[in-house]
Amino acid sequence: MAEKGKGKSRGEITQRRRRDGGEVRGKKRKNLSSSGKRKEEEKKRRSGPSLPNALKRELERLNPTVDGEVSDGDDEEIDSDAAVGNDVYEYEEGVAEEETMKNKRYDPVENYEFELPEDFEDWKVPSDDDDDDDDENEDPGRHGRMLEEITGLPADAFGGKKKKDLIISEAYPESEYNPTGDILDGSGRISIQDLLEPLHGKSGFSKLRKDLHRMGKQTVPTLAPVARTDQERIERKAAYEQSKKDITKWEPLVKRNREAPTLFFDEDKELGYSTIGAIASEFTPRTDFEKKMASLVNQSEVVEAHKRDGARLLELNEVSIEDVKERQERLAKMRDLLFRHEMKAKRVKKIKSKTYHRLLKKDKSKAAEASIRMDPEAAKEHAMKIEFKRAEERMTLKHKNSSKWAKRILKRGLDAQDDATKAAFSEQLSQHAALTRKINSIKESSGSDDSSEGDDSDDMSAGSDQEAAEKLIKKAKEKTLQVLEGDDELPTSGVLALPFMVRGLKKRKDAADEEAKLALEEYESSLKQLGDTNKSRSSDKEAKGASSGRRVFGAPEKVVNGTTKKEKVNNYYGDSDSESDAEANADDNTLNDQTGKSLKEMDIDPSLLREEFGFSHDSVFKSFGDAGDPEPKTAYEVAYLSSDTWKKVRKSSDAVKGSEADLNVRKLGIVAQAEKDPESEDDDEDSGSDSEEEMVDGILSSGPKSTYELPSQAELIQRAFAGDDVEEDFIKQKEAVLDEENPEPEKPVLLPGWGQWTGLQKKRGLPSWMLKEHEAAKQKRDESLKKRKDAHLNNVIISEKLGKKAEKLHTKTLPYPYTSKEVFEQSIRMPIGPEFNPVTAIGALNRPEVVKKAGVIIKPIEYEDVSVHERGEGHKRSAPKQGKANGKKRSRK
Amino acid sequence: MKVKVISRSTDEFTRERSQDLQRVFRNFDPTLRTQEKAVEYVRALNAAKLDKIFARPFIGAMDGHIDAVSAMAKNPANLKWLFSGSMDGDIRLWDLATRQTVCQFPGHQGAVRGLTASADGRVLVSCGTDSTVRLWNVPLPSHAQDDSSDNEAKPLATYVWKSAFWGVDHQENGELFATAGAQVDIWNHNRSQPINTFEWGKDTAISVRFNPGEPNVLATSGSDRSITIYDLRLSSPARKIIMQTKTNSIAWNPMEPMNFTALNVQEKRKSVFYTWVGALLFTYGLRLDFVLYNLLHVSSHAALGCWLLTCYLANEDCNCYSYDVRKMNEARCVHRDHVSAVMDIDYSPTGREFVTGSYDRTVRIFQYNGGHSREIYHTKRMQRVFCVKFSNDGSYIISGSDDTNLRLWKAKASEQLGVPEAVSSIAESFACLQLLPRERKNHEYLEAVKNRYKHLPEVKRIVRHRHLPKPIYKAASLRRIMTDAQRKKDERRRAHSAPGSIINKPLRKRRIIKEVE
Repeated sequence: MAEKGKGKSRGEITQRRRRDGGEVRGKKRKNLSSSGKRKEEEKKRRSGPSLPNALKRELERLNPTVDGEVSDGDDEEIDSDAAVGNDVYEYEEGVAEEETMKNKRYDPVENYEFELPEDFEDWKVPSDDDDDDDDENEDPGRHGRMLEEITGLPADAFGGKKKKDLIISEAYPESEYNPTGDILDGSGRISIQDLLEPLHGKSGFSKLRKDLHRMGKQTVPTLAPVARTDQERIERKAAYEQSKKDITKWEPLVKRNREAPTLFFDEDKELGYSTIGAIASEFTPRTDFEKKMASLVNQSEVVEAHKRDGARLLELNEVSIEDVKERQERLAKMRDLLFRHEMKAKRVKKIKSKTYHRLLKKDKSKAAEASIRMDPEAAKEHAMKIEFKRAEERMTLKHKNSSKWAKRILKRGLDAQDDATKAAFSEQLSQHAALTRKINSIKESSGSDDSSEGDDSDDMSAGSDQEAAEKLIKKAKEKTLQVLEGDDELPTSGVLALPFMVRGLKKRKDAADEEAKLALEEYESSLKQLGDTNKSRSSDKEAKGASSGRRVFGAPEKVVNGTTKKEKVNNYYGDSDSESDAEANADDNTLNDQTGKSLKEMDIDPSLLREEFGFSHDSVFKSFGDAGDPEPKTAYEVAYLSSDTWKKVRKSSDAVKGSEADLNVRKLGIVAQAEKDPESEDDDEDSGSDSEEEMVDGILSSGPKSTYELPSQAELIQRAFAGDDVEEDFIKQKEAVLDEENPEPEKPVLLPGWGQWTGLQKKRGLPSWMLKEHEAAKQKRDESLKKRKDAHLNNVIISEKLGKKAEKLHTKTLPYPYTSKEVFEQSIRMPIGPEFNPVTAIGALNRPEVVKKAGVIIKPIEYEDVSVHERGEGHKRSAPKQGKANGKKRSRK
Repeated sequence: MKVKVISRSTDEFTRERSQDLQRVFRNFDPTLRTQEKAVEYVRALNAAKLDKIFARPFIGAMDGHIDAVSAMAKNPANLKWLFSGSMDGDIRLWDLATRQTVCQFPGHQGAVRGLTASADGRVLVSCGTDSTVRLWNVPLPSHAQDDSSDNEAKPLATYVWKSAFWGVDHQENGELFATAGAQVDIWNHNRSQPINTFEWGKDTAISVRFNPGEPNVLATSGSDRSITIYDLRLSSPARKIIMQTKTNSIAWNPMEPMNFTALNVQEKRKSVFYTWVGALLFTYGLRLDFVLYNLLHVSSHAALGCWLLTCYLANEDCNCYSYDVRKMNEARCVHRDHVSAVMDIDYSPTGREFVTGSYDRTVRIFQYNGGHSREIYHTKRMQRVFCVKFSNDGSYIISGSDDTNLRLWKAKASEQLGVPEAVSSIAESFACLQLLPRERKNHEYLEAVKNRYKHLPEVKRIVRHRHLPKPIYKAASLRRIMTDAQRKKDERRRAHSAPGSIINKPLRKRRIIKEVE
């Protein structure tokens, strides 16, 4: 403890000096160490332990032999001191020297020369154990003990290496400035603290102490100020590093933007003020009403009132009592009426009597009918209502006996029901039929509906449309032709096959044909008249009719049929309505005269039809006859007629009539069959043409099999390609290609007349260089031919000609951003056009890199934190729009 | 037997309105259409041709100055207003829509060298060779429309300073602006003296630009062939590079705050000349007779022009260099194509392209990462271009040139802007300028197809082809010959010297002498 305190205090004393000259001194040492002077100094400094001289003397006396060792021990004690001067460099020498110097330590002269300050300097420098080798084999403990015994001093005073003790020989008499070793060693040593103590409490003491404290702490020397240029450079560097760091924060954002397939700059549009107030302030009255309102609102009174306060406004708002009263009364009346009406409805609803309700209903319907008749608008409404009902029926199938009630009845069985239920049931069905019939008629409106409508228009209005009439005529013509065609089959059996019957039939047929022809002519003429505008069309159709091959007129069998028909027609008309017949006749007469107006011709046409078509067309006639009163039923039948089942109808009508003999009926059946046959035949021909051919093929292939021996494959091939030698052709072709791509060198020729007049040239032949050149060219060609890819492929030609057209579709080098050919090709593989891609994909495929709008100011980038995670997310997002604000808008991908 | 039938609901194929298109159902099976690629190629070719046909970039000229236009400034808040200053000290506010002068700002005694407007567009800052900085109040659009003729504004403030100014730029979203002159000064609107002054070396700064994204960083170029970066937060310069030739102007990429493009570069002698003019003006003070100056100026330019014709091919660099601030020892990209000194540059607000004006009487548009220009604009009457600007919406370009005119161009030469009368006004006709959706989609498609096949020779040739004025064409070819010769020479030299003794520096580094810390 004492030592420590000592060390510290000494340290404090010496610090100053050490600081000043520490480094310099070290250097000096080194320089001087080799010189003799230096050695001397060393010697001087080597002082022994601070023993009094008397003691030393006694020691010497006691054991002179141990002297050296004692000195060794001394040496060890002071080694800290000695080591200060000894560099590593001095180490070896020092050992030897010390042996000689040891005794000189006690030289009084040297003691005089002792310099205290130098000694103090080296106090704390760690020691070198340069003397260790001397007392290696000594027991330091024993020696110490001995010293202890002798001197009576504590063992520490002589202790091991660690003991850093300064032994100062007394060069001066003890005084204030030269304290004795005792004082220095023991607790009586003077420290700065000791010196300061008396100053305690005086002014400036604390400052002094602080200074001391500071000095004690500050061990690092302050540096000299750096040159200004260097200082600035450092500052700049720091600034640059800092700004670099700051700017690096943008990196993820910039990277994201760069990698984005599209940047959007069109988002934030300045819409200006869009509040209601702003819009309202822009409003200027334009219409009269608005102006009126504006004038009221902007009345000076009102404005003034607004400006001042609410009281005046209230005054202006005041309403008279009369007004309020009137309004209230009116409201009360309305409410009362409503209530009454409600009550009445309730009461009526409560009445259970069915008759009452039926009557009510009847009344209502009557009233409605009346209103329909009187009021076109009401009629329209009614029609709408009905139409709606129909539609509803179609939608719900309410009347198709699918209701619970109907199902129950059906389950029980209809026979078990009473009459009323049955009636209700049938009523339902009929209603359904009525409601859905419209649909059917609409669906089958192709021909019959039109015709009937056309008739309607004919009859009703003078301004008939030509097209309908035209259609009608065409139809009639068609039917006539059909009749003419259809009856060309001869009855081969039965009564009708009898020769006289046949004759009769033929006659009739002839007559009918003639009539039909006449009718046809008339049709044509009327058509011509009709269709000034669509003449060409009609004529086309005529041509078609004329040219369609299977229409044969004037076959003898037909006459009979025709006549029978004629009879029938007459009969029929005689039976049913002669009135229309007469009318028709009259019309016929008029027709012959008339050529002028289409209207009249329109009237004629049906009658003509009646005359010409005979009974088979009775339904047509009927429809024409009924044209005056259009009924759904008519439409229905006409629809039937238009379909290809019209013959059946004809048959059935015949059957119903039954006035004609069975003969006729039978004949008709036959005729119908006969008519059907060619059709079916035709069908067969049309549809089965392929199959027929196949059949033929089959016959071809199978036929010879059975009869002839099959020739061999080679033979067959030979027979098949008898004429041409393919291989030779190919070889020729290949040669031609080769010649074209690697042309044969021209043969050397002499210019005519050159050298001929002497005859010399002829004799010598061609000059050698020419031959050589030719030879070389030939060789070259051969080589290039050998190098060709198809040189060894006899059956292949691989052209080596470069395609100029293909060239322009290739790039010479790989374009910049791409790293491989495959990637580049992949990038242009899929088309991006709207024809090749669904609409949803086109936008993303075609979006430009930067989307901006003219007129939208683009602000510079604003910082936004883009974390790694977010970036990843950003990559996933592709094309579709998102984001709103400034920062986000420009980085969407 | 179950029969599968195609059933579609009527909603799928009925139109909602009669104007709607009939929906067409297509089978997109690629095997059904094998010619799609060929079809698209032909479309791309046609689109390229159509682009050529419809390329009419020039919209109109704005006449009014009586001397060369030396500086321009956009109004950040207003799309259709543009400020321009001329060599005679005249400052004008233009309405681009009507191409008329809205008002004038008289006051400068010498050439106006720098113009800039505050972020809100209310204050205009101008500076010039008369050593003054002037702040002006920009009239409101409504006031300006009232009486557009002979409208003259009074300066808000005039600050006289020590030396001539060469450039000024305003901070984005701040009230600081920086001037370039003998030193770089940072000013506040409300202070009559600069609040901060930077000096690094004794050479004049000739242009200054604030970084729009990072408002505290600015870059200047100096007459000592340097480009310097400053940071206001640390109130210190940060880094400087010295190049072989002087940098005329700098522009920051507004979308990438770390990148800027510097325009090299012009002849040393010319800069000497300019400084001479500046010094002359300065020594004569502000008293220099206006007419005299005009005469001097005009004659000097004429002389300069002649001199340039013979000289600009010698060894000068007419390129633009894009740098990353963080890595200044090499340029990120070198943009070549001009055949004479590049005078001014401005980035498109989209950050994807920039426009340059050159002494070779052309305006060029470059991609931000493209080595060559994508477009060149020139007219017979346009002389040396001193300043160029991209409009705030990135759709128009304005150039100011020696022939005292400002010219308005489309940024995309063949772009369809809308109805013809709408072209004359930018801002008013937003709605008119919008294409119909189908039309726009078709344009997009054609553009995409063209882009896809742009590498194929036919399309490439058509897209790249431009008619050039003869002198430029010749100068370019001559330049090409020279660079080729130089390259050949270098190759031979390298081949005949010990390996490794001659280091081939890449073009991006070649012009940079050193980076100063």
